[in-house]
Amino acid sequence: MRLNFRRLAPVLTGICLAACSAQLTADGTAVDKVYHPYVEPLEWELEWRMIHENENPISGESRRQLHRVGFGRAVSEFVFAEFYLIGEQSAENDFELEAYEFEILWQMSEQGEYLLDYGLLFELEKEDGVDVWEYSTALLLEKEFGRYSATANIGLQYEWGDDIVDELESSLALQVRYRQSPRFEPALELYMGQDTLGIGPAFLGAERLGIMKALRWQLGVIFGLDSDTSDYTLRAVLEYEF
Amino acid sequence: MRIAASVCFFLMLCSGAWAKTPVFELEIRDHLFHPDELRIPANTKVKLIVYNRDSTPEEFESYELNREKVIMGGRKANIFIGPLAPGVYPFFGEFNPNTAQGRVIVE
Repeated sequence: MRLNFRRLAPVLTGICLAACSAQLTADGTAVDKVYHPYVEPLEWELEWRMIHENENPISGESRRQLHRVGFGRAVSEFVFAEFYLIGEQSAENDFELEAYEFEILWQMSEQGEYLLDYGLLFELEKEDGVDVWEYSTALLLEKEFGRYSATANIGLQYEWGDDIVDELESSLALQVRYRQSPRFEPALELYMGQDTLGIGPAFLGAERLGIMKALRWQLGVIFGLDSDTSDYTLRAVLEYEF
Repeated sequence: MRIAASVCFFLMLCSGAWAKTPVFELEIRDHLFHPDELRIPANTKVKLIVYNRDSTPEEFESYELNREKVIMGGRKANIFIGPLAPGVYPFFGEFNPNTAQGRVIVE
């Protein structure tokens, strides 16, 4: 058996992240989109993402909405980079710019090459107007079972800055998707974090708009499974790929 | 800890040794796939090496095979397919969808 760094890196990362996941969980809602460990070369992307919590039991805010607008492109065959502006509003607070984020997705295996497809996600976020930073790394895993695809995002986050207590957190997102047709794929998703334990259905689809042009959409509702999680969280994604 | 142990186990498996994978070859020439029909064994993972002989990029795409792979002009790409049940799985070139068409026949 020949082992090299490319194969060992995700193993070591996974062991570290999984071990930490057993001890740590992320605060705030962990509901987000589930990332897949693939990069499409030559692709540019414009993205809008929204998370809506009916009531956050921890902060007491109701109808809290988190909006992300992102612009990204594949910078190599296996690396995709994206920059986000993040805004937030709730019933108690008007909409305002909340943070900036830079993200790198690194595809580390060819699809179907190994037992699991794997990649890494790196994110650096800075909150606007305050000294709060967050760096996160997530191991992205995917496995195909006939027309089903199972995906896991195992994340580890570190927050620091003068305006926040330094903290190490972790998160887990799971998705099982049925590839019914390009336009409609039902899925079941599970999210875990310090203040999140939720499960619910999601629906994904894509509409081809021309050569290397497509509009992808996702819509999901995640139901809280414990007292720290919002009763329901809606999530939506629109991605224009070109 | 059970989650951690399960993840580690699967990661070790995914990085370890694997059985020899049958290799098939495909060429893109003048925005066409050659051959345009490929026969592969059922329930077996195969490695498909796609050579793009054109100077422009092409994308091997198939929803049925769950694969999308861009192959730059003058380059080659490895695409792993299967194991698949017997059947016909169409594919096409995203940049030239009207001409670059083919199918994988699993038997």
